[in-house]
Amino acid sequence: MTLPFILLCVLAALLELDTTYAFQTLLSRPIITGPIFGWLTGDVAAGIQIGIFAELLFADISPLGGIIPPSGVVASVIPLILYAQGIDLYFGFFVGVLGAVLYSFFDALLRKTRFKWLVFLEKRIGRKPSDITRIITATLLLSFLMTFIFISVLAWAGAQLMFMLYPYFTPRMHFAFRLAYIAVPWIGLAALIPVFRLKTR
Amino acid sequence: MSFWLRVNMFFRSFFLQAGWNYVKYQNLGFALVMLPFLRRLYHNDPEALPTVLNRYLDAFNTHPVMASFCFGAMARLEENIAKTQSVADYKEQVAEWAGTRRGLSITAASIGDRLFWGALKPLTLLLAIFIWMLLGVDFLEFTITPVTPPYAFTAGAAAFCVYNAVALFVRWEGLELGYRCDDKSCFGLTRFDWNRTIYNAKRIGIFFAVGLILFGVYRFFEGVRVDINFIARAVLVLFFIMISFVTRRLRIPNVYLYITAVIIFNIVCLL
Repeated sequence: MTLPFILLCVLAALLELDTTYAFQTLLSRPIITGPIFGWLTGDVAAGIQIGIFAELLFADISPLGGIIPPSGVVASVIPLILYAQGIDLYFGFFVGVLGAVLYSFFDALLRKTRFKWLVFLEKRIGRKPSDITRIITATLLLSFLMTFIFISVLAWAGAQLMFMLYPYFTPRMHFAFRLAYIAVPWIGLAALIPVFRLKTR
Repeated sequence: MSFWLRVNMFFRSFFLQAGWNYVKYQNLGFALVMLPFLRRLYHNDPEALPTVLNRYLDAFNTHPVMASFCFGAMARLEENIAKTQSVADYKEQVAEWAGTRRGLSITAASIGDRLFWGALKPLTLLLAIFIWMLLGVDFLEFTITPVTPPYAFTAGAAAFCVYNAVALFVRWEGLELGYRCDDKSCFGLTRFDWNRTIYNAKRIGIFFAVGLILFGVYRFFEGVRVDINFIARAVLVLFFIMISFVTRRLRIPNVYLYITAVIIFNIVCLL
């Protein structure tokens, strides 16, 4: 793990906080994070494409109630880290999407376990209300740390796995991955029509 | 509500979901936002604050942007609770407070989900794609032409600004309206015609989405030679569009459709 790799993961973990835990300004959506990570890894055009593809692919899942959509940040940072290391974008995107889905399960697990220690902290807030700021800060730091570890491990393991398997990928497999990758914007655009269904009146 | 108190609550509202959990949802963030107001209200009786705050630590869940209406309304009702003189009156006011918190959070969540997640977010996505296309970025092609950094960020920045202009306005105004208005106007929620706004946003969205698909189809056919590759690609695209409609009906997210497609294509190609 090199310093630029760690810094990218730190930035990704910080941006991921925007998805749920802080701000919710949508700074973490792939159309914004894609070009940023693309620029940082040396190919803005690839970043734009990954950003649009990831956002279109996840357009049909909204964070309603307790639903956790796949992480847009994970889906944009992992493909671009792999792409910067010479792995084709269509392989990287697949790893990124898998990582994004995995992250949503990981986040659900975090939210489930968080309550167990929040019960104790709530009692502390009941005794000393000013502690709430400290508890919120600690919760944010912990979320950041867990996300950073998750992204770093996934990007590192994904890269190692890809480097190990890459020589064995046949031209047919390249074709199969590329075909599915090309279909992504069309799947996303087809999903956008029902999203805008006029049923509010 | 003073200006600086409003600013304080507004800033804290960005951390509403910091302690999100599956049992009490946004309770910790809700207490964080309301704390400055409660401190000011009970500054003469600091011993009451922990008991009052415990009520705010009960389960609370709504849309993070629309939550500001709840903060304003809860502040107003808390003032009524603080003014009570008898135990019976106190119990009645607390029951009204709890009922309003529950009802308002559900209503606000419903509006917020439809407006922000259902209309504004996909609309700003389409806006960004259109801006990129105007700048000459053809994302439908497998390899896209290099883009210089300032242009690359324009579309994302536009989507970010449009979304946040609406979100920040609602956050700021909701706080004030929720506090000033009473239950007759649903604590300020009826001040806006949400249905019309959502309807208009969706109408613009469908216009953009159809335009984008038509543009994609035009780019697909533009200067192309009809050969076996072209037909195979066209069939594939049509197949995916049809399948995505089916999977949507079955409530299967597109992301699983993509993962399945990769697996099936690999199996077919390896056979």
